[in-house]
Amino acid sequence: MSSLKDRLEEFKRTFESGAPPYNATREAVATMHRATAELKASGIESAALKVGDRAPDFSLFNQDHVRVTSTDLLRERPLVVSFFRGHW
Amino acid sequence: MIELEALQEVDSGVRALGGRILAISPQLEKYARSVHRKLNLTFDILTDLHFTTAEQFGLVFGLPDYLRELYVSFGTRLDVFHDESEYRLPMSARYIIDSSSIIRAADVNADYTIRPEPSDTLRLLRELRPLTPPLHKVQS
Repeated sequence: MSSLKDRLEEFKRTFESGAPPYNATREAVATMHRATAELKASGIESAALKVGDRAPDFSLFNQDHVRVTSTDLLRERPLVVSFFRGHW
Repeated sequence: MIELEALQEVDSGVRALGGRILAISPQLEKYARSVHRKLNLTFDILTDLHFTTAEQFGLVFGLPDYLRELYVSFGTRLDVFHDESEYRLPMSARYIIDSSSIIRAADVNADYTIRPEPSDTLRLLRELRPLTPPLHKVQS
């Protein structure tokens, strides 16, 4: 299995080439690059929680509408928590 | 999608170490359910409605008007997916949180196409040890 990095780069290449199913225009790609560069430059990354910080507790519904509470899980085990933007 | 698939590949390894993966996004439960079934995930996708949790981790940003217009032109209706009028997103982030709720690994990137390897996360989890005791105990 290829690395996640390779897979993400492949996706990026396809997207930025304007190929289907995305059919992104050059203008759209440039706009997205601008947005990412501006977000980076805003310094937002350094404001996020870091190693050594205490993680906030959370209690959220999963895909089957079952409530999942971080403190219940953390009593026994470490967690890998991945924030992502969604799939649309 | 790509990252969730890659995380799925290490889920059994994470569980073998006694850990658990949780994916968190602002999309409504019906969208989380759809992707969860499509990818046959064995870890949960949680709905962080209105970004309450992502805000606490310092990950949320509002889209500038020009980007919002582009998303709308793509048919990417964040207002519908998130059930709010604002167009906001979380930065991509992966954390390892130990059983004392302390963050032991953090990878946050404003560019969502740059993500750490799940195999590296698995390795960090394997190497996870209790935090160093206070200094006087180390020296004694």
